[in-house]
Amino acid sequence: MFEKILIANRGEIALRVIRAAREMGICSVAVHSTADADAMHVRMADESVCIGPPPGTESYLHIPSIIAAAEVTGAQAIHPGYGFLSENAGFVQIVEDHGLTFIGPTAEHIRVMGDKITAKDTMKALGVPCVPGSDGGVPDLAEAKKIGREFGYPVIIKATAGGGGRGMKVANSEAEMERAFQTARAEAKAAFGNDEVYIEKYLTTPRHIEIQVFGDGKGGAVHLGERDCSLQRRHQKVFEEAPGPCISPEERAAIGKTCAEAVAKINYAGAGTIEFLYEKGEFYFIEMNTRLQVEHPVTEAIFGVDLVREQIRVAEGLPMSFTQDDLTINGHAIEVRLNAEKLPDFAPRPGKITAFHAPGGLGVRMDSALYDGYVIPPYYDSLIGKLIVHGRDRAEALARLDRALGELIIDGVENTVPLFAALLQEPEIQSGDYNIHWLEHWLKLGKLG
Amino acid sequence: MTNKTTEADVAFIKALAELLRENDLTEIQVKRDYGEDDSINVRVSKKVEVAAPAPSAVHVAAPAPAAPAAAAPVAAAAPATDEDPAQHPGAVTSPMVGTVYLQPEPSAPAFVKVGDSVSEGDTLLIVEAMKTMNQIPAPRSGTVKRILVEDKAAVEYGAPLMIIE
Repeated sequence: MFEKILIANRGEIALRVIRAAREMGICSVAVHSTADADAMHVRMADESVCIGPPPGTESYLHIPSIIAAAEVTGAQAIHPGYGFLSENAGFVQIVEDHGLTFIGPTAEHIRVMGDKITAKDTMKALGVPCVPGSDGGVPDLAEAKKIGREFGYPVIIKATAGGGGRGMKVANSEAEMERAFQTARAEAKAAFGNDEVYIEKYLTTPRHIEIQVFGDGKGGAVHLGERDCSLQRRHQKVFEEAPGPCISPEERAAIGKTCAEAVAKINYAGAGTIEFLYEKGEFYFIEMNTRLQVEHPVTEAIFGVDLVREQIRVAEGLPMSFTQDDLTINGHAIEVRLNAEKLPDFAPRPGKITAFHAPGGLGVRMDSALYDGYVIPPYYDSLIGKLIVHGRDRAEALARLDRALGELIIDGVENTVPLFAALLQEPEIQSGDYNIHWLEHWLKLGKLG
Repeated sequence: MTNKTTEADVAFIKALAELLRENDLTEIQVKRDYGEDDSINVRVSKKVEVAAPAPSAVHVAAPAPAAPAAAAPVAAAAPATDEDPAQHPGAVTSPMVGTVYLQPEPSAPAFVKVGDSVSEGDTLLIVEAMKTMNQIPAPRSGTVKRILVEDKAAVEYGAPLMIIE
C-alpha cells in the first residue's frame, strides 16, 4: 500500500488523482511551476513542491525535477495523469531505476504503442481489426501511389511518430498524392523529428469509438465498453458520451472481448484505451493510448467505478475491484470539455476568473481546477474543466446537460460553454446521428454567433 | 468530532509556537499517532529560517477542511517581521529541487559562513538531486549576510538559500 503518491501533472487531472488518493488514505504530493503556485491542485494536495519556472519543458516535463521532488518528499509512486510525461517510456524507465513505482503500464508497452506502426502490427497480430493500409512506413512517392491504387482513394497519410490527431494529410485522388505525401513528411519531420509516414484508407463518415480496457498486469483484463468521441474540432474532442449511441450490445461485447483479450495477452497493467474508427458496422483500429483519458468520467458514470483508484490498486499489486461479469451498464453519460477559448474562432484566452459557480444536483459532476479569483496561466493547454452528466437514458442525460449548463457560471474569461448550449439545439445531436466530420462542418456553417 | 479535533490541534500548534519563541528555537517538528488513521504531523519554524513553502503536512482523521484551518495558526505563530527573503535583491535562490549540503563532505567545514566575503562564482553550497551534487555558485561578489537553509534541508525550485550583499 502506498503511503505517498506524487502527481506529475496539473489542473483538473491532478485534482482527480489527489481525490482518489485521499479517499484511499494516501498522502498526495503536488508538483508545480512558479506560474501554478496558487493553483487548486497545489492547495488541495497534502504537500507541494515547486519544480521550476513556467515553461512545461522546465517544469512538468522536466524529469530530473519530478524525480528530485519524489526523493525529497519520500513519495513511493508517481501518477502521470494524461499528457506531459504519461506516455514517455524513458520517464517510466527512470522512475523505476530510482526505485519508485510508475502508476501505469510498463515502459515497453508504452514504447510499442507510441510508435503508430508497431502499434498497428501488434494489434493486427492480436486479432484486432485495423484500417487497411500500407505495411509499415512508406519510403517514397512511387510506393505511395501504388498503395493509393491498391486501396482506392481517398487515403490519409500519417506520421509514424505522431498521434493525438496531429501530422495527417488527406489525398482524395492520385493527382493530390504528390503534394499530400511531401507535405506530410515535411510536417512530420518538423513536429516529431521523424519524417516516416504510413498510409491508410480514409473513411468518409466514420465515428470515433474507443474501448476502455483495464489490465491487472498479470494476464487479467476487462473492457469497460465504448465511448463515442466523434465530435471533434481539429482532432480535439469536445463532447464524449457512453455508451455509444450507435453501438449494439452484441457489437460492444464482441469488440470489447477482442480488446480485453489483446491486452490480457501482453500482461498490460492499468488503464488503456483502444481507439477505432467505426463505419457501417466495422471497427478499424487507429491507435492505443496507454494512459487514463480525459473523458474517463463518462465510463466511470455508467459502470459506477473509480478508474484512478483501480490504477493505484493495480500499481500496488492488488487485483482489480471488478470482474467482467460485475461490469453492467447503468444509464447514459455525457461529458463536455470547457476551454478558455473565445468563440467562434477558439482563440485561447487566459485570464482571471471573476466568478465561478459549478452546477449541482442529481447526476452532475464538475471536474475543474477553477475557483473565484484564479488566474488561468498562458503557458499550458486551455482546458479549464469538464462537465459530466449521468441519466437513466440518453434523453435524460441530454436534458440534464442542458439544465447544468444553465447553472454553470464562468465569468472573467471567454470560454466555450455557449458552444454546447448551441449544439444541444441541433436535431442530429439530440438523435445521436453524427460522425467525426460533423462538428467542423457545423462550425463552417457559422451557426455560432 | 471534527470541531473538537480542530480545536485540540490548534491548541497544540499554538503551544509548539510558544515553546519555539520562549526557547529561541528555529524549528520544531512533531508527529503524533493518536490511533489508527488518526495522527498529526506538524512543523513549526521561524519564518526567516524556513526554505520557502517546504512540505508541512497536517494529517488528521477529519476531512480536508480541517487542514486549511489548522495550517493558518502555523503561519500566524511564526514571527512575521521580515519580508519574504526570496524577494530580497541579494537573495540566491535554488535553481532546482533537491537536498542542501552546506559543506563539501560530512566531515569538512561549511563552504561559507555568515560574514564571509565571496567572489562571483565561489561555491556557496550544494543541492543534491538524483544522486548528483550540484554546486551552487555565488551570482555576484559580496558578503554572506544570511544563510536561510539548514544542512540536509529539502528545497524546491526558487527557494531562497542565502542572502549575498
